Amino acid sequence: MKAIETVPQYYLLKQLPKATALVNTNQVLVGASDSWLDIFDQNPHKNIGSDIFALYSSHQDVVPKTLQKFLAKREPGTLRHKRENGGSEQWFESTFTPWFDEKENILGTIIQVDDITKQVENELELEKINNTLKTKSEVAKVGCWEYDIESEELNWCDETRKIHQVPQSYTPNVADAIAFYKKGYSRNKISMLFHKALKDGTPFSKRLIIVTKENEERWVRAAGKPITENGKVVKLFGTFQDIHEQVMAEMKSEESRQLLTTLIDNIPLNIFVKDKESRKILVNKAECEYVGLRPEDIIGKTDFDLYDKEVARISRDEDLEVMRTQKPMLGKETINIKKDGHTTHFLTSKIPLLDLEGKVNGLIGIGMDITHLKKKEDQLRNLINVTAVQNKKLINFAHIVSHNLRSHTANFSMLLEFLIKEEDETEKERILGMLSQASDNLLFTLEDLNQVVAINTNVNLEKKSLKISDVVNKVQQDLSIFLEKNHVQINDEIPNNLTVSSVPAYLESIILNLMTNAVKYRSPERRPLITLNAKKQGKNVHFSITDNGLGIDLDKHGGKIFGMYKTFHDRKDARGLGLYITKNQIEAMGGGVTVHSEVDKGTTFNVYFNEES
Amino acid sequence: MKKVNSIYIVDDDPITVFGIRKMLKPAAICDDIQVFENGKSALEDLKNRLEYGIPVPEVIFLDINMPIMDGWDFLEEFVGLDIKDKVVINMITSSIDPSDYQKWAEFREKSLHCLNFKNKPLFKIEPSDLDTVNLAS
Repeated sequence: MKAIETVPQYYLLKQLPKATALVNTNQVLVGASDSWLDIFDQNPHKNIGSDIFALYSSHQDVVPKTLQKFLAKREPGTLRHKRENGGSEQWFESTFTPWFDEKENILGTIIQVDDITKQVENELELEKINNTLKTKSEVAKVGCWEYDIESEELNWCDETRKIHQVPQSYTPNVADAIAFYKKGYSRNKISMLFHKALKDGTPFSKRLIIVTKENEERWVRAAGKPITENGKVVKLFGTFQDIHEQVMAEMKSEESRQLLTTLIDNIPLNIFVKDKESRKILVNKAECEYVGLRPEDIIGKTDFDLYDKEVARISRDEDLEVMRTQKPMLGKETINIKKDGHTTHFLTSKIPLLDLEGKVNGLIGIGMDITHLKKKEDQLRNLINVTAVQNKKLINFAHIVSHNLRSHTANFSMLLEFLIKEEDETEKERILGMLSQASDNLLFTLEDLNQVVAINTNVNLEKKSLKISDVVNKVQQDLSIFLEKNHVQINDEIPNNLTVSSVPAYLESIILNLMTNAVKYRSPERRPLITLNAKKQGKNVHFSITDNGLGIDLDKHGGKIFGMYKTFHDRKDARGLGLYITKNQIEAMGGGVTVHSEVDKGTTFNVYFNEES
Repeated sequence: MKKVNSIYIVDDDPITVFGIRKMLKPAAICDDIQVFENGKSALEDLKNRLEYGIPVPEVIFLDINMPIMDGWDFLEEFVGLDIKDKVVINMITSSIDPSDYQKWAEFREKSLHCLNFKNKPLFKIEPSDLDTVNLAS
């Protein structure tokens, strides 16, 4: 036991900054630096001679057998051990080295201890990171690969192998790896990208299809980037991600979106979606075409930006009502007026748009352009009006017919009754004379009625553009004897070239009739003066004929002047047919006629020719 | 046979006038039958009678459709005249227009006289066509 003595030079040892201890062959501590003793919680003065095993046993993770190997058999080596110190851990690494004297005699073991807490913590951290990375890569199905240019070695990570559905033992070369890509676009593309990356270091990232070992087609994202050393590409490193589900979902949603877009763009309805402030957030093709702007110019706009103010206000009120009540407005007839005044009729529906929580988020609008239907409706209404007028005229005419025919037939039956009962021959002769007269009257009446019927049934007689002055001249010629006999003075103020669209026979008949009347009902006290005039008045031509004749009390007779068989002057040749026929002819051509008259001053007839239809 | 002081026939159709005259023969004794071609001349004659105190006709046969002044215009003027005695007015028409019948009904309401509405053809003149008393009942 003589070895257990404090050697003076050991004082040097005591001061060493690195934790160092000397142990003799009996595994007894013979010297140690203060720093070493501190690691084992030992008092710097009293520990020489302590059993080294006892000291190490105060630390954890020390395997006695390993320690024995280093100390007893004096093999060099390292040992990790840990000290727990009030909750915190301190890691150490002891290095055991055989201790020799100058004659190479073994004296024991030199133990040096390093504090490796930091290093262990780093290692643990790294392990954690690696684990996280691995988990992540498994969950996200992101693998990686690495290609060394010099060795031409390609390395796949586990996940990359899994994606290819090859066993973990599988090691591919570049050709194998490329062969996994689907023939055609994918394979061509990856070859090109890979070689481009090798050649000039262009990184890539591309969605491609591979065919796995199990013969399954899957979408992957293959990415690679070069790793350079001294400006030279030495390695390619990349990721390899299974994005099959994602691509499929994308494709599916794209398909649905495509379907929806095709549907709403091609449906012949205006469709729009508005937010709570009535701003348009979606419009279909029909709506864009109607508004006359591109979708991007409509999105975000309100009706106030696009339409007439009043129309926009009504629309906004509807929007608010629909969003407040959450009840759809369906098939309402609306009128939309654009800023330029263009008017369109719509059948509009507005449906509240709810978010996932059931709160109103805006509305969906659907508009059907019914302008053409509206036009048809108006045309129809006009037609009904025309028909109603026509019908009234027909009823009126039917009464005239029945009245006139009845008056004759009544005379026939009355006279025949007399004839049967009459015995006196002279009286019989008289009655027969009357019967013959009644028969003539009936014929006249039938002729009159035929004339009227002809006018009203030939509604489609062709109108021609006629010079009024030509027709007036012709009538004047036809009436020349009659006019001369009555010393009629004619003041013709009709412009020479004025034309009127009319049925030739009707125009002649109208002028003839009105002129004849003007002379017939002349004043015995004045020389007859007839003034003729005509002028264009908008779409119509206004023709007037004024006389200085007897005139007529329109307050009394105004309602009947154009009536059939109405006469107002005591003239034998007045049959009450002329003006009735004239009015019918004018109206059959879509025109109108009015009269102004003063008793004993004269009469003016105004004829309006419709130039449109 | 009823005796009538004076009868007016206001009608522009000579055949109807002939018929009424003929039918009156077996029905009435009357020395004063006047015929007018329209309402205007009948009205003038009537006014004349009133002016000179000549008795007005007890019976008038009145056509509706006539030139210059028709039956309705005549009636309008007639009901405005100051005539004390009831006059029988027989409206004779071939019209089957309901509006004519309605007009007649309106006149009958506002007139003191006896208004009859008779559709052609006529074959006989009844005593009631000549008498105010019968009609009043």
